[in-house]
Parts: sequence; structure tokens; C-alpha cells
Amino acid sequence: MHSKRLGWLLLAPTMIILFFFGVVPFFYVIWVSFHQWNPFAANPGKIFNWAANYRQVVFDAQLLASLGVTFAFVFFAVVSELVLGYLLAQAFMKDFPGKAFFRTIHTLPLIMAPIIVGSIWKLMTTPSIGIIPNLLQSWFGYNLNIGQSALAAFTVTVVMDVWHWTPLVTLSLIAALVSLPPDPFEQAQIDGAGKRQIFWHITLPMIAPAVVATVFIRLMDALRTVDEVLMLTGGGPGSATRYIGVHIFKEVFPRTNYGYGSAISVVVLYLTIVICWLLYVGLIAPRNTKKG
Amino acid sequence: MIDDIDKLAAEENPALVLAHMIEENENRIPAERTGFLPIQTNWFDRVFISVVLWVALSLFWFRFLEPLGLSIWICLAISLVAAVFIIRKG
Repeated sequence: MHSKRLGWLLLAPTMIILFFFGVVPFFYVIWVSFHQWNPFAANPGKIFNWAANYRQVVFDAQLLASLGVTFAFVFFAVVSELVLGYLLAQAFMKDFPGKAFFRTIHTLPLIMAPIIVGSIWKLMTTPSIGIIPNLLQSWFGYNLNIGQSALAAFTVTVVMDVWHWTPLVTLSLIAALVSLPPDPFEQAQIDGAGKRQIFWHITLPMIAPAVVATVFIRLMDALRTVDEVLMLTGGGPGSATRYIGVHIFKEVFPRTNYGYGSAISVVVLYLTIVICWLLYVGLIAPRNTKKG
Repeated sequence: MIDDIDKLAAEENPALVLAHMIEENENRIPAERTGFLPIQTNWFDRVFISVVLWVALSLFWFRFLEPLGLSIWICLAISLVAAVFIIRKG
């Protein structure tokens, strides 16, 4: 029994931290979501209002529009990161002069705080002083103004996210590709399989768990993106880049509507869990079942 | 197994003690089965699916059926019946 105690003792710090920083806030947000709570109002206390916040959620046109643009943002950002990340990972699998240097350089965006990334991109895309509008104007005659064009603002937020997070995907996929055994590839080449066949029938199925894990991480991150976008566009022009995280921020902090903000957060968490679970059931569970 | 862990603990090898605890725990994962759901599930999966359905149905009810005068308690009753059915037959 002494050993069991030792095991639990070793696990205790992690479990205590998880309990106080994960479990307690989670249930607190659920509890707050059933209250009307504005600490700076005339009545600063929490008033229990059953599911009134959730009723408000399903009729909130601004929120539903935010969800729409968020899903579009997540789709374009994650798919682009996955494709680019895979291509870069394959490139880094080959030897070329300066490989170590380029690998280090390409991971630099990862170590930047999102608020810094937002600031850099704001400087780079501000008309008249930004390098990107100037280059686009002189090369293609295109006038990039993210303060006026909704499509331009949306595209720039996607490109910024891709720039920031593609290195994470690349590193995950390099780890997956390095761990693949060489035998199936050699056998496939002997059997006369082409590059495309090898990719679809050998590489992709073997790295699928790593791909899905990376997609989960990026999906969850992209769904709750706030600071970069808030810094770059402030959610505008209009509500073109008012992603769900930005919407919650504007609801909770400037308007101090904590109860309703919590209800939106719970709904977004629910959607995130359901999307990830569906991905898991669709892509990973059937493989485990076959193996089992 | 317990003797093994005791032996490892006696040798003061915490990493191996944890590894053995994880291995022991894996053996305790509830049995999976295939019911009417299209995937193999254990009881926790079925409870999770029931909660997911309950939340989805509640939001749908708030948006479309409650304005017609149907109380949310009806939704809760339907969800409970569905949950019992999923947990027992899913």
C-alpha cells in the first residue's frame, strides 16, 4: 500500500493544480451563466435567472453572425496551416544548405505573444505607413485597406493566424514523419507506387493521429482567438472580424455583462467539444476499433 | 502487480511506480460494446452523448419551440428518456 500512496503523492501536485485552475473555474462559469451579474450596476449582486442568458444566446443576431465568421475563419486558417505545415515539414525532412538556420527562423513566430503579433501586423497593414499596402499598391495596383474592406480585414486576420501558427503544425508533423518506419515506403517503391499513392495510402494513414491531434489544438486555439484580432482590427470593419472570442470580450469587459458572457462562453465550449468529438469519432475511433 | 509496485517503490523509482499505476488504470477502463449507436462506446461515452444531445435539444427548444408555448420542462423530460435509452441500449 506504501507504493500506492507514493503514486498518489507524485500525482497530487498536478491534480491539485488542475482542480483549482481547471475544474473550479469551469463549474464557476457554468454557475455564473445562470445569473444576471453586472458588478458595476446599481445592484452589483448575482441574481439567479434560470436559463434566461441561454434564451438570449439563441436569439442574439450579433452572436450568431459572430459564430458564422468564426467558423469561416477557423476553416480557412486551420486548413491553410495544415497544408502549409505539411509541405514545410516535408521540406525540412530533406537536407539542404542552411536547413538548421531556416528551421530556427521559421519557428520564431511561435514564441511571440499574440498581442505583439497583432501589433506587428497592424503596423504592416496600416495604409500609408504599412509595407504590405505599399507593396500591393506598387506591384498590383491593389489598394489594401483593412479599415474599409470587410473581405480584406478577414483575409488579413486569416493570413496573420497562418503566419503565427503554421510553425506549430510543421513541428508536430516533422515529429510524426521522423518516427515513421522506412520499410513500408521501400516496399511501396519496389511495388512501383507513385508519390501520390504513397502519400494517400501510406504516409497520411500513418501520420493521421498526429494530424488529428494538431487539428484539435489549432481548432481549439482558433475558436477562442481574441488578442491578435482585437489588436489588428478591433472586430471591424463593422462586425466583419468580430470573432466569437472578440464578441465575448466586448460583452464581458466594456459592458461588464458577466452572466451573459459566461453563457456565451459555455455555448462556445460546448461547440468546441462537440466538433472535436465528432472529428475524433470520424477519424480516430474507427482505427482504434479495427486494431482492438 | 501490487508486489511489483511495492518492489519498485522500495527501489525508490517514482517514474516506474507511475507507469505501473497508469498500466493498472488502463485495465480498469469500462468495457466497450456496440448497441444501436454506430460506434463502440463505454458507459461514459453514452453519458457524454446524452449530455451533448440534451444541450443541443435545449438550445433548439429555446429558439424554436418555447416561443410556441411549449415548456422547457417537456424538453428536459424528452432528454431524460433519451438519455436512459442511450445509456441502456446505445
